[in-house]
Parts: sequence; C-alpha cells; structure tokens
Amino acid sequence: MSFLRVENLTCRFGGIVALQDISFSMEKGEILGLMGANGAGKTTLLSLIAGNVAPSAGHILLEGERIDGRSPHRVNGLGVARTFQIVRPFAGMTVLGNVMIGALYGRGRTMSLRHARTQCLEILDEVGLADRRDLPAAALTLAGRKRLEVARALATQPRLLLLDEVLAGLNASEANDALDLIRRLRETRMLSIIIIEHVMKALMRLSHRILVLHDGKKIMDGEPAEVASDPRVIAAYLGEHAHV
Amino acid sequence: MKERALTIVSIIAALALFVGAPQIVNAYWLGVALQLLSGIALTQSWVAFSGLTGYVSLGHAVFYGAGAYVMALLWQSAALWEILVASGFTAAALALLIGYPALRVRGPYFVILTLGLSELCKYVVIAIEAALESSGRLLFDTPDPVFLYYIMLLLAVLATLLTWGLARSRWGAGLRAIREDETAASTVGVPVTFLKIMAFVLSAFIPGVVGAVWVLRTTFFEPMQLFSPTTSFTIVTMAVIGGSDGAPGPIFGAAFIVILSELLWARAPQFYLVLLGILLISFVLFIPRGIYGQLTALAQRRRA
Amino acid sequence: MDQIASTQLLLSALILASIYALVALGLNLIYGTMRLLNVAHGDLMMLGGYFSYWVFQLVGIGPLWSMFGAVLLTAILGAACYLSIVRYVIGNRELAARLEANSLLIFFGFAIIIQNGLSMAFTSDPRSYGYLNSILAVGDARVELNRLAVLGLGTVASAGCVLFFQFSRFGLATRALIQQRDAASLVGINADRIQLLVFCVGFGMAGLAGSLVSMTETVTPFGGFPYTISAFVVIILGGLGNLGGGILGAVLLAIIEIYGVALTSAAYRSILLYGVFITVLLIRPQGLLGRSAR
Repeated sequence: MSFLRVENLTCRFGGIVALQDISFSMEKGEILGLMGANGAGKTTLLSLIAGNVAPSAGHILLEGERIDGRSPHRVNGLGVARTFQIVRPFAGMTVLGNVMIGALYGRGRTMSLRHARTQCLEILDEVGLADRRDLPAAALTLAGRKRLEVARALATQPRLLLLDEVLAGLNASEANDALDLIRRLRETRMLSIIIIEHVMKALMRLSHRILVLHDGKKIMDGEPAEVASDPRVIAAYLGEHAHV
Repeated sequence: MKERALTIVSIIAALALFVGAPQIVNAYWLGVALQLLSGIALTQSWVAFSGLTGYVSLGHAVFYGAGAYVMALLWQSAALWEILVASGFTAAALALLIGYPALRVRGPYFVILTLGLSELCKYVVIAIEAALESSGRLLFDTPDPVFLYYIMLLLAVLATLLTWGLARSRWGAGLRAIREDETAASTVGVPVTFLKIMAFVLSAFIPGVVGAVWVLRTTFFEPMQLFSPTTSFTIVTMAVIGGSDGAPGPIFGAAFIVILSELLWARAPQFYLVLLGILLISFVLFIPRGIYGQLTALAQRRRA
Repeated sequence: MDQIASTQLLLSALILASIYALVALGLNLIYGTMRLLNVAHGDLMMLGGYFSYWVFQLVGIGPLWSMFGAVLLTAILGAACYLSIVRYVIGNRELAARLEANSLLIFFGFAIIIQNGLSMAFTSDPRSYGYLNSILAVGDARVELNRLAVLGLGTVASAGCVLFFQFSRFGLATRALIQQRDAASLVGINADRIQLLVFCVGFGMAGLAGSLVSMTETVTPFGGFPYTISAFVVIILGGLGNLGGGILGAVLLAIIEIYGVALTSAAYRSILLYGVFITVLLIRPQGLLGRSAR
C-alpha cells in the first residue's frame, strides 16, 4: 500500500477547473517535487491534500485512510502539515508562540504548555531560529518567516510535510541552508515531503521523483533525469517559462 | 519576583477591601461598588471570547437580558441559587444556539449579526410580554442588597479567574491563534469551530447570572432596558479601554468607566455616552492595547 | 385577502423600497470599495432628518430644498471622517492588520456619539412636521403627496447613482476598486482620492435619505439603527458591492416587510426585519444575487 494515494482528483472554482483528474502515489520517506508554471495548480493540490479546499471529485488516501473532505485540523491530526507560499505567521505572537500552537494542537497534541515549550525550543534550534524565539513573528525577515512556517509545521509532528516555495525570496546561501535542512529533516524524522519549488536546480537535486502539472492536468511523473529530458515537459513548462 | 509579590499583595488587598466594603461604606457607595463588580464580571466574560478570538461581539446584552428574564419569570417559584444557575445555563444555551450558525461567518458579518440578534431577542421578548399582557414585571421580596453584593463579588472573581485561566491555557493559545489567522490555525491542527463555540458559550454564562442578580437589585424587569444595546456598548468600551488580551485589562477598564459614569451619568447621561463614544474611538486609534497593555509596554521599555 | 391585493399596499411597498434603495446604496459603496461596514449609517440618516426638520421649523423651507443642505452636511462629515480617521487606520500597520474589527468599533463609537449628541441637543422626543401632506387618489389607493415625493426622488436619486457608477469615469474606477483592490492600484487608479469621494457620496446618500424620510416619518435620535439593519439586509440580498443588485434587494425587502406586516400585525415589524436579516445572513451571506463565496 502506498503511503499517499491521490485518485482522479478534480477541483473546480465556479466555472474554472483548477485541477483535473490528477492521480499519483508516493512512498514513505520519498521527496516528491511539484513542477509547473504559475497557475498550473500546484498550490491548489497542496491545499486539497491539507484539507484547506474540498475537492470537487476524487479521493486522497493517507495509508489507505481517506482524508479528502475532512477539515484541515483533522487532516493535520492524521499527520499532514503544510506551509503557505505567502507566509501566514500569527503576526502578533512571538516566534516561540507560533511554533507552540503547532505542538499544542497538531498530531502530537501536547497538553502541557511546558512540555510544548521544550519541544518547540528544540525545533527552533533545528531550523536556526532559537536566538529569535522571543521576537514577535512580524519582526522576522522573509527568510526568517519561511523558517517559521517550516518550524510551525514540524511542531505538529507530521508524517507528510507539504512545502510551498520555501526557498523563494532567499539568497543563494540561505537557499542552500534550507535545502540541507529539508534533507536533514527527512532523515531524522522519517518524513515524506511534497515540495513546490521554482528554482529548478534545487528541485532536481532534492526530489526523488517529480510530478509535472500543466493547466491543471498532470503531464507526467518520474525521476528528475527523466523529467528533465521529456519533450512534453520541455514544451509545456520550459517553453512557457522562457517567455516569462 | 518582586513584581510578582507586589501583584499578589495588591490582589489580596483589593479582595479584602471588596469583602469588607459593606461594613465600611454607605448604601450609595455600595451601589457603585456593585456597578464596578458587575462591569468587571461582564467585561471579563466578553474578553474571554471576543478579546481572545478577535470575533467582536456587539450583542452581549442578549445574555445579560436573557438571564434577567429567567429570573423575572422564575422568582419566588424556585430557590435563588437554582434560578441563578438556570439563568447562567439559559444564557449559555442561547449562546450555543446562536453560536453554532453565527460563528461560521467571519469579520463584519459576525459583528453585525450579534448586534442584530440581540435586537431580535429584545423584540421577541417584548412580543411575548405583550402577548402575556404584562407591561414590565415587578419582583417582590428580593434579597438584601449586601447579599446581592457578595454574589456579584463572587461572579467578578469567577469571571476574572475564567479569563485569567483561559488566557494562560492551551485553549487560550488556540483562541489567540484564531484571532491572528484562522486558516493558518486550522492548518496546524487547531479545531477552530469547536474552540470558538466553546469560548462563546463560556463567555455567555456569567453575563446571564449577572443579569439575574441585577434584576433582583432593581426589582423591575423591562425588556427595553435589560436588552439595551447600551449594555453591549459599555462592555465593549470597558474592554477596549482597559485592554482585551487577558484578565487585568477589564479590571482597569471597568474601574475607569465606573468612575467616569459616577462623575457624569446622573448629571448628563447623554454627554456621558458621547464621551464614551469618543473614548472608544480614541483608544482604538491611539492606545489599541488599552490601559493595561500600555502600562506593560511602558514597564518593559523602562526595563530594557 | 382583498387588502393584500390592493394598490395601497403595493404603493407602500414601492415607497419603502425607494427609501431602502437609497439608504443601502451609501452603505454598499463604502463597504464595497473599502470593506468598512458603517454601522452608523442609519444615524447619519437621522442627522439629515433633523437638519431638514429644523430648517423647516425655523425658516419654513421644505426638504425639497433643504435636502441639498443635508447632503452637503453629511458629505462634509464623510470627508472629515475619511481624512482624519480612516486614512490613519489604513496607514497604520498595527491597526490595519485588524481593519475590520477596528473600523467597526470606530463606527460603533460614531453611532453612539451621533445618537446621544442628537438626544442632547434636541431631546429624545420624536419630531415630525407637515409638508406636502395633501392626500391624492392613485387608482383606488389614497396617498399623501409627500410619500409620492419620497418615491419619486428616492427612485431618481438611486437610479442616478447607479447610472453614475455604471458609466462615469469615476464610477468605472470605483468599480475596478470594488472588484480588485491590488490590480486597480497597478493600473494607476488613485485609490486615496476615490475612497475620499466614496466616503462623501456614501455619507451624503444617508443624509439625503434622512432628509426625504423626515417628510413622512418621525425622526428620533435613536431611530437610525433599524435603517442600518435594513440597508445591510438589502446589500446582502443584492450582493455586496453590486449597486444594481441593491435596488432589487430593496424592492424584495420592502415587499417582505409591508406584506408581512399586513398579514400579521404592526407589532411584529421589528421581529420580521431582524428575522429576515438573520435568516439571510445565516443561510446565504454571499447574497441572493451575489456570486457564491469561495
């Protein structure tokens, strides 16, 4: 049985079809890259998996259990955590406060505040925000807020982590640090990861497999080398990208 | 540590003062103290929901009125304690009934909904009373004012403990997360609907009991007065002026407003309300954290 | 049942609809462009009503002329409110982060100030005056001339406003702002100036409505809130930001209210109004004509 199975997933907003008949599956511990131009439906796919948006048709199964149509907090309770492309920190809270919400309510559901605090300090240490833990989240730089998104998601103790452009807006060395972090997290926490990334090189290096979306449809999925040389992908994605 | 000791000592002193007040002051000032305590109880309850979640309720008068109505209907047909508890539960049940559908809508929808709902309840009660051919209900043989004062003191303490406890708890953290960003909160596992409804119901209970005590004190039930939007307005203003992110704020806010009302209400009630409106706007604009929030910020700056 | 089919009721419904359309337009403009819900809208109306009342009592000039003064007065208030407060709130990051809650509290404060200020200045006695109150026969219905004037002027003003926003350059820019705030600023629309004008027009419409209503209804310091609620129901029925839809919403609400009262009793009028309001808000907050919310 696959770790995550997506079957014939379709999502419409009014008359617009954002995703059409998407099917794929992934194994435990895998890093799956999502690739596609703007508006291809990548973020929508993450929103569907995380429960933020209900699908119009199709199923999502996590270890055989259906999670589509459940509210986000229930999906999170089953071990799916996401970050937002446009970061959404709890701006009025401290950095530590943000992460503690994840620990208190996520899959871990730590009931004691003190316990949650210890867990979160470790996580902040891991993502490199420990020195800024008492700052209000609004005071962080963009790079800091992206890390905070990841830290908050990690605090929920996920099994599947959905990362939406966590590298965007970071400079080269920050991006490299972030890539190392993602790899390390996968190993130490046995995470499966779906990642959306615009920096192609990073995506190719990081992912075990890549799924290509175009106009809400799946073009193909396969290993990075396969994807990079596939004519359909070059036509649909890279061709269009060149115009941007 | 020194600060903490100071806080504890002042809390004990204030409590002792309130407990001893009936022996010290005359009936008039006891009435003022009663106002203050009911202000604290109501505002604490409001903060427990609206302050923490950011869902501004402009209709808390409805719970107060509902409690008063239960008391007016049941007085002398059951024991005082039973009616008080019934008043609280009626208000809480009303909150559950309202909250389940109402809390699906956000922002301005929710705010105006609470305002409209409380007006609706007012007119429904008026219609019921009219159908029963009752024009106001007089309550006879009500308890001694000093006794009512102690009940109110108990309510103020309970409400303060409720807000204090909630603000420091896991639930409080979840409610604040809802205030900051509801979508992000639910994505990291916060059961937003459940938490909101629970806080709404909790925040309705004490106003129900306060309303019941208050109608015993005035000995007259008149729906126009007890469901008046002015009550909601005063609660909101107390919270905004004092600070609405925890238990200390409402105490400051209620004290401020009760003193102001003492100075002005009897002489110029309309001017008092105009001033209250101006204060509400000024605090939202210039001191959004309220008196208590501002004081803590100042203290922190001095330390730094 | 004869009564239900009468011209009298139909006429009453139309008259009420013309008032609601006018009141709702002002609220809709401000809410649509800026997402600020002016809960003091009905109270601004009362301000216009008092203005016309006093002009009539003191100098004997009727509302057909004093309505211009009422519009001016409330429009100036709108400008003052925008320039002194709203701009400050939008520009302040901490306040703007919770714009909806903060603006509501501010408008709530306004409402209280206007209500009690009026009550302080003019006591809380209901005020009314007789103007154009000769009775005309319209078909088998009998109606005061002033009510017909309300119907005529209300319709003209509402229609004029909708057409203005439909076809003028300024109207086009405003509708662009209603639909897509960020994009509008990208194509060079000066949001600040439009918002200022929207505040003037929005407040002015309330003043106009109040001035007209003062001919036929009594004015009281606390009489504004039901109008705020009615206006809110109307714009929800018609779809937020949809000006034309608001007129349809006004007709719908007026029919529900007039026929509802005719079928039950005048005592249930408030219950009916608030009942419709709550039902609509809970069942279909995006409006009958609005697109379904995403």
